Amino acid sequence: MEAMVHSSSFLLPEIPAGDGDGLKYALVLLNQRLPKFTPLLWKHAQLRVCADGGANRVFNDLPLLFPHETPSDVRTRYKPDVIKGDMDSVRTEVLEFYRNMGTKIVDESHDQDTTDLHKCVAFIRDFHADTEDTLCILVAGALGGRFDHEIGNINVICHFSATRIILLSEDSLIQLLPSARHHEIHIQSSVEGPHCGLIPIGAPSGSTTTTGLQWDLSDTEMRFGGLISTSNIVKGEVITVHSTSDLLWTVSLKKL
Amino acid sequence: MDVMIHSSSFLLPELPADQTSGAGPTYALVLLNQHLPRFTPLLWKHAQLRVCADGGANRLYDELPGLFPDEDASSVRNRYKPDMIKGDMDSIRAEVLEFYKNMGTKIVDASHDQDTTDLHKCVAFVRDFYADTETSTLCILVVGALGGRFDHEMGNINVLCRFSTIRIVLVSEDCLIQLLPSTHHHEIHIQSSIEGPHCGLIPIGTRSGSTTTTGLQWNLTNTEMRFGGLISTSNIVRGGIVTVQSSSDLLWTVSLKKS
Repeated sequence: MEAMVHSSSFLLPEIPAGDGDGLKYALVLLNQRLPKFTPLLWKHAQLRVCADGGANRVFNDLPLLFPHETPSDVRTRYKPDVIKGDMDSVRTEVLEFYRNMGTKIVDESHDQDTTDLHKCVAFIRDFHADTEDTLCILVAGALGGRFDHEIGNINVICHFSATRIILLSEDSLIQLLPSARHHEIHIQSSVEGPHCGLIPIGAPSGSTTTTGLQWDLSDTEMRFGGLISTSNIVKGEVITVHSTSDLLWTVSLKKL
Repeated sequence: MDVMIHSSSFLLPELPADQTSGAGPTYALVLLNQHLPRFTPLLWKHAQLRVCADGGANRLYDELPGLFPDEDASSVRNRYKPDMIKGDMDSIRAEVLEFYKNMGTKIVDASHDQDTTDLHKCVAFVRDFYADTETSTLCILVVGALGGRFDHEMGNINVLCRFSTIRIVLVSEDCLIQLLPSTHHHEIHIQSSIEGPHCGLIPIGTRSGSTTTTGLQWNLTNTEMRFGGLISTSNIVRGGIVTVQSSSDLLWTVSLKKS
């Protein structure tokens, strides 16, 4: 089976030609403080979806990133395509503002069994059903705040393990490396690293082998309660990982 | 199977009468290198031992005076003197280290040991310090464990899993997290003035074949939980007591109320 290649080129100001294998980006905004590079993700994305209170964050936080512009100019430029979720967090005036601008509002409050992120990922997958191989979903505001929310968001990437989904905060990036695949992670050292980790979040991993890390693993067992790879350091430009279980890959993001 | 009782009474302004004069848990406090929650002085008051993990000393030095704006910064720092600073010393600022060394804080440089995190080193120290006390009465409170880099957060969670026979509670501004070992039935007494209603049960690191609960909005009944499938998040505390029994170690998390 060929290697699965990963690259955080969506964090670069311009995506290099020929990089990313023509990935199509979608952006989901959740209800935590949005990272400073959110406008950059917005620029690369073809579809922008707010999960419920994520719309409050776009409304409130984006103007703060453009202090020399009027808030209403910024809000007009950064108009989400869809607001979806159970609508228990989005403020009424924010909902009306975006509805009047043409944003599609999808009220899913009847479905209490899945998180807002799950609903948004499912929607984006259906929207891109014919191009799933080239889809990459970026999620801003996924970390911080309540721990059960954070874990719920991580569970979404474990559940949709065949879809590239990247959780982003100001400090870190997290993505799933599905088991039994060879993974090649191309490090964009201007924007990420050096701190990194590999985490057997849902099940022990009988064997993991890596190259390119300060403390490489060599057919090493990892499990919570025993060894997990945290506070590791990226040494090479390409990290390779192969594991018998799904792992979370996390790497630190550099301050702008 | 024995019952293990949990209560966040350490977040109450005064410990309940039945927990004072040696009858309740012995609290120790570990401070890590993230923004300290505003109720840190309350935890400090209840603790008998206060340990900074490396850069946690910077946080203590910088942030505690801000919680007492009507007091002079140096008198706050004199009052909040840690018993020990331990870790690999790659984050603590030189002037902070000198300040506490001059005040008599014990400094333990553990930089030779690159295999364990600073929190692991501090928990091992606290456990050994109280080795002749029954560990069921020891409760280690940890602030600054969440937020920041995700790999740090996971490393801190793993310390709870590795020291599964010691009560360790990670506390942030928004929530608390503790391990519920599979070896016991658990009774969680909810202090509704300070915690709830949002909560969750998380099968960290392994699939849980069967969990049963009472006292939650969405109770589990012999339910399987695993990452990639069902895990209990965005649940709601309904009763004054939540009970949990599971075939695997679970993380319990509950939201904390803004004061």
